[in-house]
Amino acid sequence: MIKLQNVEKIYRTSSIETLALNNINLNVKKGEFVSIMGPSGCGKSTLLNIIGLLDAPSKGIIELDGQKVETYHDKAIAPLRNKMLGFIFQSFHLINDLSVIDNVEIPLLYRSTTARQRRELAEEALEKVGLSNRMKHFPKQLSGGQKQRVAIARAIVGKPEIILADEPTGNLDSAMGNEIINILQSLNENGATIVMVTHDDAMAKRTHRLIRLFDGTQVL
Amino acid sequence: MIRHLFKLIWNKKQTHALLIIEIWASFLVLFGLATLIFYNVRNYIQPLGFEYENVWAMSLNNNQDTIAIQEKVETIFAHVKGFPEVQSVSRMSDSYPFSQSNNSRTVKYNNVATQIGVVVADENLSKTIDIPLIKGKWYRNADSIGKYIPVVINRKAEALLFENQSAVGKILSDYDGKATWIVSGVIDHYKDKAEFMENKPFLFELLKSKDIWNKTLVIHVKPGTDAIFEAKLVKGISSIAKGWSTDIVYLTDARQKQHDMTLIPVLIFLIVCSFLLINVALGLFGILNLSIARRRGEIGLRRAMGATEKMVTAQFLGEIWVLSTFSVILGLILAVQFPLLNVFDVAAGIYGIAIVTATLIIFVIVTLCAWYPSSQASRIHPAIALHED
Repeated sequence: MIKLQNVEKIYRTSSIETLALNNINLNVKKGEFVSIMGPSGCGKSTLLNIIGLLDAPSKGIIELDGQKVETYHDKAIAPLRNKMLGFIFQSFHLINDLSVIDNVEIPLLYRSTTARQRRELAEEALEKVGLSNRMKHFPKQLSGGQKQRVAIARAIVGKPEIILADEPTGNLDSAMGNEIINILQSLNENGATIVMVTHDDAMAKRTHRLIRLFDGTQVL
Repeated sequence: MIRHLFKLIWNKKQTHALLIIEIWASFLVLFGLATLIFYNVRNYIQPLGFEYENVWAMSLNNNQDTIAIQEKVETIFAHVKGFPEVQSVSRMSDSYPFSQSNNSRTVKYNNVATQIGVVVADENLSKTIDIPLIKGKWYRNADSIGKYIPVVINRKAEALLFENQSAVGKILSDYDGKATWIVSGVIDHYKDKAEFMENKPFLFELLKSKDIWNKTLVIHVKPGTDAIFEAKLVKGISSIAKGWSTDIVYLTDARQKQHDMTLIPVLIFLIVCSFLLINVALGLFGILNLSIARRRGEIGLRRAMGATEKMVTAQFLGEIWVLSTFSVILGLILAVQFPLLNVFDVAAGIYGIAIVTATLIIFVIVTLCAWYPSSQASRIHPAIALHED
């Protein structure tokens, strides 16, 4: 489902060159739940951004669902992000001025769907994360766990094949964290391929496979 | 997407209230300015109705002299007419073309009454300043023997008083309903306060033979006639009527004065409005820059969710258009009252064009102000924007 070959990422400024990822080779199968661990600054988020086409590698090849990413031109990768990928962030990234259901509808705004279809799909996604009763609420009226569930609903509303989660439990207490992992596991059981960055060993153990990074290099 | 934008703006209405008020106020100022400009332009393109080149207006002032005024005026008239430099001369009231003087009366026909500008002049005026007639004839001095005072009216007065009928031969009454005037002819336009004046109803009344009050001579001189002739003319008059004074005005200069009186306030208003709009534009630009800087996380998120750079630009432009639409709708509620209540007696069409123009200018300004910050926003790298937030 996700294939990375000899991926390298170098950040360059006028005077400094930083090797963030070094020769990463990764193959995540369809329906797999993979966690990425490593110390701060080891390149976990960079790797997730590269898989999620939010950042371009300096070198190497990326394939998503057998489709090689040939160009990082905005027009070419925006539809891939929209249809193939769902993102969950540590800090939720909800828009405070929009209600829960309007936040969930966001990915659908960038594809040709009617308002009615958007509403139905968003309601369905919120039902999956157990937030049907909070649709009209605003993010400020929700707890951290609820916010993350809204973010999950937003990630799955477009029915992407790959979900990328960047420390989804990082801002939550352990009970809330467990709740989120349960939801992710259930999504995975229903066929979603998930790649999750985490610092938490207990969370990582609940995934199928663990990838460890150290100084931009894959060590496990 | 439009519904999404409306929701986004509506949910942030308190934050945007000042911005909405700012755009609303700008719309109203632009509406006022556009109305003023279109009103004047529409007037300007309508014909003046007479000639003013090489025409002088000479006001005669008898000062303390009260003896044989009529005879002296007639002698002066004949004296002026006798010069080879003079093509034509006419005697009229002091409301000569482009003068600061006005005279108006209420005139009635059947049950229709209208306020009408009045000029008292002799039979030579139409020839002296070349006023073409479209119906009937210009009155003659000999017509004064009739029961009614002969008058010539303009087409505007004819339309107001007679609707579709011809005015020629009809009797007009004064304010008290007393039959006073008979229409002998109709002219097209007569805008005595220069080109920027609105075409208003006008009436020319025959000067009475014994009149001693209306002592302005309008003189059409040959091209090239200069101040030397003017001095000769004044000298001749002072020898005919001792103690009298004269004041000669070139109609070209008087016309320029009228133009200045109209254009200078418009120009001042235009300059003030331009500064105001520049301030509004800079304010908008600053607010949008700040707002976009605060929304980097949202931009990153939207890019991650599949928005292209163009979509992000379009979203921010769309937001400012939605805000402007709210403001313009509020402004329209006020602006439409002007034609509905006929506040300044300006044609409804002028207000309509002014509303459309003000709306277009508002949208052009907000688009220009939002374009740069929006396109900058769209270029924010999603990974960086999400990481920074």
